[in-house]
Amino acid sequence: MRALYDDFTRTFGNVLFAVVLFVVWGLLTLIGVIVDQGKDSTVYFQAYAAPLARVILRLNLDNIYHTPYYVGIIGLILLSLAVCTFKRVIPARLPPLRSVAIEKIPLHASIDVQGDPENIRDRVEKFFRARGWHVRKREFGGVEWTFADKHNWARRGVLVAHAGFVIIAAGTSIYWARGFSGDETIVAGQTVSVPHTQTSIKLDGFSYKIKPIVTKSGMIYQPIDYVSRVTATGSDGVPRQAVIRVNHPLDVDGTLYYQSSYGFALRFHVTHGGTRVPALENRDYLTGDEIALPGTQRTIAVAQFVPTVDRASGQASADPRINNPAVFLQVFDNGQAAGAGLVPMKASIDVGGGWRIRPERYLLVSGLQYRYDPGVALVGIGAFVLLAGLVISFYMLPARMFVRLDPAPAGARIALAATTVKGYDIFETQFNELVAQLERDFKPPRPAPKLNLAEAT
Amino acid sequence: MQSHMPLDEVLMIIALGAYVVSALLLLVYFFSRDEWLKHLGIPLAIAGCVAQFAQLTARYEITHVWPLLNLYGSLSLFAAVSVAIFIIFAFRYNLWFAGGFVIALAALFLAYGVTWNEGSMPAVPSLQSYWAKIHVPLVVSSYAAFMVAFVMSVLFLVKYYFERSLSGQTVDAAAAGTVAVRMDSPGIAAAAAQGNAGAQWLNTIPSLAQLDVLIYRIVAVGLPLLTLGIITGAMWAHESWGAYWQWDPKETAALFSWIVYAIYMHLHTRNAWRGVRTAWVSVVGFISIMFCYFGVNLWISGLHSYKL
Ligand code: HEM
Repeated sequence: MRALYDDFTRTFGNVLFAVVLFVVWGLLTLIGVIVDQGKDSTVYFQAYAAPLARVILRLNLDNIYHTPYYVGIIGLILLSLAVCTFKRVIPARLPPLRSVAIEKIPLHASIDVQGDPENIRDRVEKFFRARGWHVRKREFGGVEWTFADKHNWARRGVLVAHAGFVIIAAGTSIYWARGFSGDETIVAGQTVSVPHTQTSIKLDGFSYKIKPIVTKSGMIYQPIDYVSRVTATGSDGVPRQAVIRVNHPLDVDGTLYYQSSYGFALRFHVTHGGTRVPALENRDYLTGDEIALPGTQRTIAVAQFVPTVDRASGQASADPRINNPAVFLQVFDNGQAAGAGLVPMKASIDVGGGWRIRPERYLLVSGLQYRYDPGVALVGIGAFVLLAGLVISFYMLPARMFVRLDPAPAGARIALAATTVKGYDIFETQFNELVAQLERDFKPPRPAPKLNLAEAT
Repeated sequence: MQSHMPLDEVLMIIALGAYVVSALLLLVYFFSRDEWLKHLGIPLAIAGCVAQFAQLTARYEITHVWPLLNLYGSLSLFAAVSVAIFIIFAFRYNLWFAGGFVIALAALFLAYGVTWNEGSMPAVPSLQSYWAKIHVPLVVSSYAAFMVAFVMSVLFLVKYYFERSLSGQTVDAAAAGTVAVRMDSPGIAAAAAQGNAGAQWLNTIPSLAQLDVLIYRIVAVGLPLLTLGIITGAMWAHESWGAYWQWDPKETAALFSWIVYAIYMHLHTRNAWRGVRTAWVSVVGFISIMFCYFGVNLWISGLHSYKL
């Protein structure tokens, strides 16, 4: 049991194991980038060979980010991170002051200096203090040691980064536990009550602005603005008017409502044998909806709203601004296509069996998304904690100088060695500079050479 | 109709021209080590970079549209920041030997960006946000840092494998980071002394250990920027799409790159893995960045398909 536990902590506490987990996490993420997510199964059969499409669907690669293995790998990363943090990172944080074999440390040097050893020791101490090092002195086996630490506190950067990751994970789990989201398609004038909430939203109106622009590769219609004017009634029962546009969501009782899409709804004038059929008339049909003609096998699909029909050709134009609108209707008989046509507003068509249909008016429809996510603040805090950890770990280099003072003829020998948490190479230049400065500090000032004018001429 | 060329396009041509000449000079400098090439190449690189920032400013002043919201603008910033980061690092660590490669790459990206110039266009509603002004520069700057790291990594790998081919053994002793003093390349030094041209070029660039530290320092600029870029992207998404994270291909591709550099960072904490392995990770990281930048925009559709 003990052996098993040791194996577990050794494996999960190993950075290389963490790297393996990262690699798996990365690969799963990459699959999600390459394979379209959340599409209808037919899409995969169109895009890939049948066996591959089956693999994608069977393994849920079409929705990979919510699969047990995706969530599982993040779980394993958190577990590994926790084990590693408690078993490796925290115990290794602040190494004890001890004597070392200076020459065995790759970054080492020694300087012979003259003077009183006690005085030399003080000067060494002052030298490091003046450069922002934290200095402590110890004696081991009769030898005097000075330890200088820089940015020792920054050893905790790893902990900060790891804590940030854990906080983000906690924030996202709060959404899974307590959050919700959804979308509502609201026809102008209509009121919907939003599930999970005590909110009702009435769409007073929707408008959009689109600008035709001549670019170097031709004319495009650039959307400029989408605006929903709504009356929202929250839990306090007070109706409030508000505007929702892209990048400007509306907050009602902590749930946010976003502008996400728009469309059109249609009203039709429907007659059978010359008599109006109110049951079919008093409805808003969204594009994609069907009108089933009672007592027949016929359905009329409201396939598309065409904002602008080109007056010259009578064909749908690419202009999404409303100017001479029409509806594209498809007639099905017993499920079989029986005809289709672009029907201008107010134009009546015969759809067979004594039925006539006339697009009477169109209404704008706004697609709103809503979301309640009580974990957002935590995720945000976690993200910045993680960032702080990264910056600390990257920019603060905890280093320790080991300085040993041995008596030497007419003075002392200062032997120095340096270690850092990131190996030796990263500190080499700085170490060499420090040694050179120290040497200069102890060298008696040389008299300035006198300029001999006679010699110069 | 305007008959003369707009100021921003003039500046763009100046920048491109300066980069091309500077890259050529510095490339020749890499091979010949004639100092005057460097002394001419550096001011040109700086001039190109300044012209680029002036171009972006001019474009904003002329069109009143934030100039980074399409590939033309973002590639322009990408090139400008790559060169700027390189110049800063080059002054600090004397990296001019790599200047030709970095500036040639920047010029290539810039030239490609110019092919996406569609003239002036207002932003679509989802891009009309102050977040665009924060998020895009951060992300693009992180890409730029990774580009510079990529060039240094490639130089590291060339030197590493060249040394290995000369000394006929793995450069384990020189596996970057193990021991500072062992980071020289004896095979290259010997071959250089015998007049091997390749070895002579490689002998004059920093040691493998120094290159490794340099790569680490540049990644240390890129990764926090990418992290901040993803965070501000999430904040923006929270405001415009309703969720800070939608698993859209662009976001997930950025997450993938972030994971690759997190791998880099963790491998780099280990002596034995520092050096050739982390250099490869940095190369993979930049490939993933390029995939995130272009691959996702051009091949994979998603919420982010604004050609950004
Ligand atoms: C599988 C989970 C993880 C494990 C087991 C793990 C383990 C480690 C270990 C052992 C170190 C080196 C400590 C040292 O020797 O000083 C480290 C460093 C670090 N880790 Fe992690 N880590 C994990 C996940 C993460 C994540 C998700 C992040 C987020 C970015 C992260 C950020 C960092 C940072 C910033 C460092 C410092 C790197 C440096 O100093 O260059 N770690 N990690």
